[in-house]
Amino acid sequence: MTLKLSICEATDKGPRAQNQDAVRVVTPAPLLAASKGHLLAVADGVSHCQDGGLAANATLQALALDYYSTPETWTIPHALDKLLTAHNRWLRVNGGGQPLLTTLTALVLRGERYTLAHIGDCRAYLLRDGKLRNLTSEHVWEQPGMEHVLKRALGLDEHLLMDYIEGELRAHDQLLIVSDGVWASLKDSEIHGILHEQPFEQACPVLLERTYRAGSQDNASALLVRVDALPESSLSGALAPLDERALPPQLKTGQPFEGWEVVNVRAESRQSLLYRVRDPLQQTWLLKTLPASLQDDQQARQALVLEEWFMRRVAGAFTPELHPLPQRRHLYYVMREYAGVTLEEQRRQLGLLSIPAWRALAAQMVKAVGKLHQRNLIHRDIKPENLHQGEDGQLRVLDFGLTFCPGLTQQETGRAPGTPSYRAPEALRGAEPHPQQDIYSTGVTLYFLLTGHYPYGEVEAFQRPRFGKPIPASRYRPDVPPWIDTMLLRAVAAEPKERFETAEEWLLELAKGENQPLHSCHEPLLKRDPLRFWRYVALTSLALNLLLVVQLLTH
Amino acid sequence: MNNSFWKAGHTPTLFSAFLYFDLSFMVWYLLGPLAVQIATDLDLSAQQRGIMVATPILAGALLRLLMGFLADRLSPKTAGIIGQIVVICTLLLAWQVGVNSYQHTLMLGLGLGFAGASFAVALPLASQWYPPEHQGKAMGIAGAGNSGTVLAAIFAPGLAYLFGWQNVFGLALIPLGVTLILFIMLAKNSPQRPTPKSLGDYAKALQDVDSWWFMFFYSVTFGGFIGLASALPGYFSDQYALNPVTAGYYTAACVMAGSLMRPLGGALADRIGGIRSLLFMYGIAAICIAVVGFNLPNSYAALAFFVTAMLGLGAGNGAVFQLVPQRFFREIGVMTGLIGMAGGVGGFILAAGLGAIKQHTGDYQLGLWLFASLGILALLGLYNVKRRWRTTWGASGATAARI
Repeated sequence: MTLKLSICEATDKGPRAQNQDAVRVVTPAPLLAASKGHLLAVADGVSHCQDGGLAANATLQALALDYYSTPETWTIPHALDKLLTAHNRWLRVNGGGQPLLTTLTALVLRGERYTLAHIGDCRAYLLRDGKLRNLTSEHVWEQPGMEHVLKRALGLDEHLLMDYIEGELRAHDQLLIVSDGVWASLKDSEIHGILHEQPFEQACPVLLERTYRAGSQDNASALLVRVDALPESSLSGALAPLDERALPPQLKTGQPFEGWEVVNVRAESRQSLLYRVRDPLQQTWLLKTLPASLQDDQQARQALVLEEWFMRRVAGAFTPELHPLPQRRHLYYVMREYAGVTLEEQRRQLGLLSIPAWRALAAQMVKAVGKLHQRNLIHRDIKPENLHQGEDGQLRVLDFGLTFCPGLTQQETGRAPGTPSYRAPEALRGAEPHPQQDIYSTGVTLYFLLTGHYPYGEVEAFQRPRFGKPIPASRYRPDVPPWIDTMLLRAVAAEPKERFETAEEWLLELAKGENQPLHSCHEPLLKRDPLRFWRYVALTSLALNLLLVVQLLTH
Repeated sequence: MNNSFWKAGHTPTLFSAFLYFDLSFMVWYLLGPLAVQIATDLDLSAQQRGIMVATPILAGALLRLLMGFLADRLSPKTAGIIGQIVVICTLLLAWQVGVNSYQHTLMLGLGLGFAGASFAVALPLASQWYPPEHQGKAMGIAGAGNSGTVLAAIFAPGLAYLFGWQNVFGLALIPLGVTLILFIMLAKNSPQRPTPKSLGDYAKALQDVDSWWFMFFYSVTFGGFIGLASALPGYFSDQYALNPVTAGYYTAACVMAGSLMRPLGGALADRIGGIRSLLFMYGIAAICIAVVGFNLPNSYAALAFFVTAMLGLGAGNGAVFQLVPQRFFREIGVMTGLIGMAGGVGGFILAAGLGAIKQHTGDYQLGLWLFASLGILALLGLYNVKRRWRTTWGASGATAARI
C-alpha cells in the first residue's frame, strides 16, 4: 500500500489587484513518490518588492521541477536546501537591481514522515486527534508596527536560512498551510472550527471566505492535505510489489534467456547466484539473481531489487555499469563484466602491496567511498572481496546488497549486517548506520592490504569483541612511513570522534602525504624528543655516579 | 540484571521450569553414580554396565523429539506434567518392585530418558514468555538446570552407601514430587506460542552444512560431558580400585567442573568469538583425554586430567550454544532439538563404547584415544567453519542464549 492523500487548495487575490500568492501541489508517479515524496507548497510574494507574484511563482516552479531532479538518495532537507540556496541566488540577481522576495512553506510527505521547509510568515498547522498545533514560527520583527516586516525570506539575504521541521505521520492527520492573510484575520480556534465543521473539500474555500468576511485586505491562500492511508513499508515495498517477477529458471550453458546467451555459472553462494552471459554483440555481462533456495524469501527479493536501484543511483566510473534491461521479465539484474581481479584475489596471487601501489589504491578507494557518501549512501560492506581492480586501472565498488540510505532504507532490528572484521565497533554495538562506519571499513581494508593483518585482530561472526588500541601498521611492515601509520590509525579509530569525519577529509590527508618522503627515515631520539633524551642522559650519569660512590665507599 | 527483565516475562514459570529441568537432569543421570554398586550387585560385565548408563542418555536424546512434539501440539505445561509422571512412575516401580536384572536396568533407563527429554519442554515453556531481547537470559536461567547432574553425582553414591542403591530411587521421589506439585501450581503456558514445527522444517534445517557440523560439535562436547560423567565411576573403580563412594566423589568433581564452566564458556565465546574458544576447548579436552589414555599410574593425576578435560568440554557446551541461536536464529526451535539430540547420541556412543572397548580389549586406552581423535576431527571441522564464516552476514534478530 502506498501513501494516500486527499488535497484541497484555494487562493484568492481578495481586494487587491493582483494575487501574489502561489500554491503548488505535486503528486508524482508511485515510484517517485516512494523515493522523493509528495510536494505541497505555498509561497507569498512580498508586495513591496519588484514583483512579488513573479518571485512566488518562480520559486514554486523551481521547487517543483528541481526537487524531483535531485538524487533520489539524498535526504529531503539536504535536497531542498541545495536547490533553495541556488534559487535564492537567482532571486537576488534577477529583480533588475532589486531582489525578488517571497516567503515559502513547503511540505514533503514521504513514507511515514513529513518534512516542512519554512521561511517567512506563512503558517503550517497539524491537526491530529482533534488538536490543532502550529508547527512553524513567523520570521517577522516583534516591535510594534513592524509585525509584517520579514526578518527572513527567500531573496532577502545572501545566506539562506531555512527552518526544517520533521515528524511522523499518522493516519487521518491533516496538515494545513495558510498565508499570513488567513492567520492574521482568523484565530486558531476559528480555523480549527472550520476544519472541524466543514466537509474536507469545502474547508479551504470556506477559510478564505471567512477571512475576507473578517475584513482582510491581503491575498489569502490555504492548502490542506489529509493522510488517508499510510504506506505499509518503505521504499523497498514500493520497489518490489509482492506479486513481482519470478526468479529465472536454472540456466544451462549455451541456453538463450531473454536475449542473453548463458556462458556459465560464475559464482554461487547462499545469498546470490551469478551467471556469466553474453549479449548479441558477444560482450560478456554478469547476471545476478537469487539461488532457488531463496525463492520464497521476501526479504532477499526486496534486497536484490533495492541493490539494483541503489547501483543505478550511483552509476559512475567506480561502479559496474548496469544494463538497462528493456525486456526483463524475471527477477535479476545484469552488470558488465570487467577484466581484472578483486583486491582479495589480487592479494592471494601477488601478496601484499608495495607502498607506492598502496598509495595510489588508497586515493582511488577513498574517493570512491566518498562518491557514495555524497549520494547519501552507506555501503556497509567495504572489504577486499567487494573492491574490483580492473585491468583498465579503474577501481570499482561491488555488492550493494547491504547498502543503506538514511531516510529511505528501514533500519533492521538486531545486529548490524556486514563482515565481522570490517564492521565498525559502534556498528557492532547497534549504532545507526553512518558514513564514518564505511570509513572504518575502508581503513581496515587498506590496513589489511598493506599488512595482511587486521588492526584489532580478526573478529569472528557473533563475537562481541573489546576494541583496545589498534596495532600500528608499521609493526607488521617496517617500511611504512609514519604519516601512513598515523593516517591508518586515525581511519580505524574505535571512537568515531577520532576517525576522519568524511572521506574528503581523508583524501586531503592523503594528498598532503604526497609531499611526504616515501621512506621512513628513522629520527634519532634527540630530534624526536629532546627532553626525554637529556633526561635519559642525566639518569644514566646519575646511576653511574651512584655506582662510583658505592664503589668508593666499599673500598 | 535489570528490572525490565523481571517485568517482561512470567517469573513463576521461569522458576518452575528451572526446577523441573534441574531435577529431571538429576534423575536422568542417576544411574551413572550408582553404576558401580548396581553392576556389582547384579554381576554385570563392563559392556553391560556401559550400556546401562548409556541407555538413559540415548532414550533422552530420542524422546526429546517426542516431548518436543507433545509440547508443540498439546502445550509445554501438559507435556511437562506427562514427562514428570512417567519418570515418577518409573522410579516408583524401580523402588517397589526392584531392579533385579540387566533387562530391568535397561527398562529403568528408558523411563529415565523422559527426564532427559525435559530439555525440549522446559526451555520453550520459559522462553516463550519473554520478548526477544530477554530470551537469552530466560534460556540461560532455565538452562542452568543442567547443574542437576552435579546433585546426583554428589548425593547418589553416599545415599546408596547409607540406604542401599534401591532406596535411592525412593528418596529421589521426594524432591520430584515436590517439584511436580510446584510445577502444576506455578507454571503457566505463554499466551503467545509459535506455530508447531513440521517435519519439513527439520528437513530444511538439515540442508545447511553448518547444522551438521554443529550437531557434531555438540555431540563431542555435550556427548563427552555426559558420556564421561556416566562412565567415570566405572573407570575410577576399574582402573584404580576405588570404592564406589570415592569413585562417585571423583566423578562429582569432574561433573561439577563441566557444569560450572558452561556459562563461562558462553561468556568467553561472546568476548573472543565462539569458534576461537571452541578451538581452544577442543584442544584442551583432546590433549587431556589422550594423556589419560596412557593409563596414568596415579588416580589423582587421572582426576586432574579428567577435570581439565571436563572444564574444556563444559565451556565448549556453552560456546556451542552461544553460537547456535545466532547462527540459526530463524530455525532456532528446530535446531535446538536436533543439536540437543546429537549431543545425547554422542553421549550414548561414548558411554556404551567405552564399556564395550573395555570388555573386548581389557583396557580403556583405545576408547579414550578414539574419543580424543574425535576432538581432533572437530578441530578440523572448526577450521572449515571458520573459513566459511569469513563472509558477509545479514542482519539477524539474534539473541544471546546460553543454555
